Amino acid sequence: MKQRKIIFAGPVGAGKTTAICSVSEVPPILTDVSASDDTRERKQTTTVAMDYGRISLDNGDRVHLYGTPGQERFDFMWEILTKGGGGLILMLDNARQDPLADIKTYTDAFSQFIRDQRLVIGITRTDVKSTPAIEDYREYLDLFTLRVPILAVDARRRKDVLLLIQTLLSLRH
Amino acid sequence: MAANKSDALKTILNTLSSSSGDIEASAVVSSDGLMIASNFPAGLDEDRVAAMSAALLAMGERSASELERGGLEQIFIKGEKGNLVMMAAGPEGVLTTLTTQGAKLGLVFLDMKRAAKEIARII
Repeated sequence: MKQRKIIFAGPVGAGKTTAICSVSEVPPILTDVSASDDTRERKQTTTVAMDYGRISLDNGDRVHLYGTPGQERFDFMWEILTKGGGGLILMLDNARQDPLADIKTYTDAFSQFIRDQRLVIGITRTDVKSTPAIEDYREYLDLFTLRVPILAVDARRRKDVLLLIQTLLSLRH
Repeated sequence: MAANKSDALKTILNTLSSSSGDIEASAVVSSDGLMIASNFPAGLDEDRVAAMSAALLAMGERSASELERGGLEQIFIKGEKGNLVMMAAGPEGVLTTLTTQGAKLGLVFLDMKRAAKEIARII
């Protein structure tokens, strides 16, 4: 049995905490507190330290899931939580003002980790706003010669989140 | 925030520092990591201190309850050159102080508890 650790990153409200809650087989550990910044326009609470959940794969491997806080003022937690991680799931909210700029922000912030490990991108809330389309993301990533699987997902659906995790783990690096 | 509110918080923080020479600086931070008031020395990155205080307090609360230690009362970090003490100030706030190395902790905790109560009333 192997132990693996993967990290969920991305902007506020992209569904990182929701995704971990959707798949975790243990009660997740959350550090959500009531939001006082502009996050409040979107949701009541926000993660300030980390989320933790765990799933077991069919082969018995255990995957530890760590969610990061979205706001950049918590970037020290990004560094702490990626330690020992084997891959990154970048969640992007399609309904945010400029999701392509969000890609740049987060792939820059995690650039060292992404270079050494694997990356998958999950796009949420495509039902709320249909553009940019997956192709737009792909074209944008081509500019940085990043070849990354991109999936449209609903963070509330266990099946979708599992697919993200399985896709990530199937990548070679 | 209203100016009188922030003045009131500043006054509490300044009283805290002057009542005991052991407390070098202190700050009030929102529980989601934004600076509300501080008398930190210039040069410290207040935004980072605020975010770290919120993250530590949240982890402390979750750890205490996960390990069945009840509600969190304080977080204490001992460094080589001094200490860091954090306490909740009501449900929305965190009081963070920096103390000297040989600080009399019993007194620091007591003064902080009193200040946290006042802060909770204001924010």
